[in-house]
Amino acid sequence: MGKRLLWSLVLSSALSAIGAQAAEKTAIQVMHQGDPGFVAAYGKVAERFEAANPDVDVQFIYAPHDAYNEKFSAAVMAKQLPDVMELDAPFLANYVWSGYLQPIKPLIDKDLLDDMTESNIAQGTYPIDKDLYAIGLTDSSVVLYGNKKYLEAIGARIPKSVDDAWTREEFEGYLEKLSKLDGVKWPIDTFRGYGIKTEWITYAYGPILQSAGCDLIDRKAWKSEGTLDSDTCVDALAMMQKWVKNGWVVPQSAGTNQFFAQGNPAALALGGHWVYAEAAATMKDDIVVLPLPKFGAKGASPDGTWIWAITKTSAHPDISGKFISFLLKDKEFRTYVASQSGYPGLKSFAAESPLYAAGGPMAIAFEQASKTAVARPPHPAYPTITSAFMQAVDEVFNGGDPKEALTSAAKKIDQDIEDNDGYPPFGEEQ
Amino acid sequence: MAMQQAISSTSVRKAPARRHDRGRLMQEAAMLAPAVILLTLFLILPFLLSFWTAMTNQPLVPRPTPVRFVWFNNFIRIFQDDLFWTALWNVSRFTFWIIPAQCGLAFATALLLHQKLPFRNLLRGMFFLPAITSMVVVCVIWGTLFQYPTGPFNQILGFLSGGAIQPIDWLGDPQWAMFSLVLLSAWQAYGFQMIVYLAGLQGIPDELYDAAKIDGANVFRRFWHVTMPGLRPTHVFGLVITTIQAFKLYTQVAILTQGGPKSSTETVVHYMVRAGFEEQKMGYASAVSVILFVIVLVIALIQRQLLRRFDV
Repeated sequence: MGKRLLWSLVLSSALSAIGAQAAEKTAIQVMHQGDPGFVAAYGKVAERFEAANPDVDVQFIYAPHDAYNEKFSAAVMAKQLPDVMELDAPFLANYVWSGYLQPIKPLIDKDLLDDMTESNIAQGTYPIDKDLYAIGLTDSSVVLYGNKKYLEAIGARIPKSVDDAWTREEFEGYLEKLSKLDGVKWPIDTFRGYGIKTEWITYAYGPILQSAGCDLIDRKAWKSEGTLDSDTCVDALAMMQKWVKNGWVVPQSAGTNQFFAQGNPAALALGGHWVYAEAAATMKDDIVVLPLPKFGAKGASPDGTWIWAITKTSAHPDISGKFISFLLKDKEFRTYVASQSGYPGLKSFAAESPLYAAGGPMAIAFEQASKTAVARPPHPAYPTITSAFMQAVDEVFNGGDPKEALTSAAKKIDQDIEDNDGYPPFGEEQ
Repeated sequence: MAMQQAISSTSVRKAPARRHDRGRLMQEAAMLAPAVILLTLFLILPFLLSFWTAMTNQPLVPRPTPVRFVWFNNFIRIFQDDLFWTALWNVSRFTFWIIPAQCGLAFATALLLHQKLPFRNLLRGMFFLPAITSMVVVCVIWGTLFQYPTGPFNQILGFLSGGAIQPIDWLGDPQWAMFSLVLLSAWQAYGFQMIVYLAGLQGIPDELYDAAKIDGANVFRRFWHVTMPGLRPTHVFGLVITTIQAFKLYTQVAILTQGGPKSSTETVVHYMVRAGFEEQKMGYASAVSVILFVIVLVIALIQRQLLRRFDV
């Protein structure tokens, strides 16, 4: 009986091998995230790619946004890395340092490489060997959206460019005035509704700390104690805590659309560029786009988004590169991304996006990329850096002591770096 | 229990007598083998491995830096981490609340459904339904019910109190978040304890009630002097099961609160999963699991003593 079982196993595996051969297609796996609209768009690009390359079969592996890194870790452990993968830019250093990705330059069409904007190159570059490991059609930013009606009612100054952004005093003064204005339930929505364990926290609130004059980690010594728990950072986080305490910020449980919800209960919104499409659709001309306020001597804004890379284990790096090039050039895909207020990461795509062109409603957002953008720390310890910071922000927003919360976050980050012997060559070179 | 002892002792006694019978011995070994192999592979080995891993700085995924033996460093760090103590405190708080809530609810419904009601079995099925519904589904539904400020719970409270009760931020207020999880968890899981209680109630011989009646005991006295003593082992069993379940609180937290707000719903298991998968520190997470194991073991041992005392 045992023999019969064995034979049937051998036979079936042989049959499936023949079946695979009969198809004569090279399969590449593409791991990605995205909302349903983007998932559908990727599927259509793959169909067109397969039509152009009949011998290739593109297989998608969807991993939900919030559990993406966990799912990726599972793939690593199972030794089943995809060929092509989408990744969130700040995690690039960790992936490259761990040895999962290969340099992408030789595999991508040259005209695309020449077409990349500076911040797009920056988000895909590993700081140690300065090589490019990932490329995207888009980048990202966060701006301050304002409800024109309310801002006019309190006589607020409307900045025309990044250079004359609101100062901290102006901003807090306006928040206070807005809080007393009829119709305004909350002066500002900072999209706490995204949750307390999401990259949004580090992405959007980190620049407030940087603008105030500190950072999540010292980017030369790669040490967090003395930086994240410095008085400047403590003061900046205490400032945000005050906004929450005063009832100026939309609470987490009130959802994520209070700025453009019916009746416009929120007057301002510290929101990603992707909010524009939705907000503009419901608020029409009432929306005004402002640069992020200056909380200290200089402005700071976030950048980095989900970009495409090719794994080291890929058996078909050339086809993978071809697919990424195809995706970034695909006309219909670009039209879709532009309709979602996609933030240009290619010069040609910027030209196709009137939203971000000079005079366009989101021009200020694009201006921020060159003037104030600060990348999240490109260090392999980033998973711990962001996790520790999220923890601290949740603690502080709910009444915890900012000094205590940031001290414990800084300690956690430094411990992780220590545990990994400083993630060489990081500590050594810089 | 007594039965089992009898069976095992006879087989032990018989084995040496038939030592010459090798065929029989082989047969026994072969029959035991699947269980032994599976238990070793999936229970004992992982268990020993986690003890071993707890003393290293093993990352979740392979890394260029070497894995080192760090002895008890992970444990020391865990004990120095305020968040761990918060998590432990939260789980204890949760357990303290959920035992009366869940067992009380289960006991009450069991008493009700033990009566000779019409459609009794249908009702039993209905009350048991939440227990077999996936916790994930329950969480998603209750997440909507808890919504602030306009969720159904707040609407009902506002309506019943004529607007006197302000909307409660069930999951977003550190004062309320854990309590909300207790409500949800008790509702989801009480069906199991209810079935246990029903079985317990059915196990009390009718003669005792008849005798009590003849002695002139009223309903309340019959409940206090017949039902309650008869259910003593059931109560203790419920206590043990609920405590162990409560210490493993995770799903509700992962879906609804992610440990927040202000770490008010952080639990030991959630803390462990975060360390292991978010921060990719497998060694550290293993150390947490070992600590959790010891805690649950101690509780189980204490409760075993209780069981003995009540002669279960």
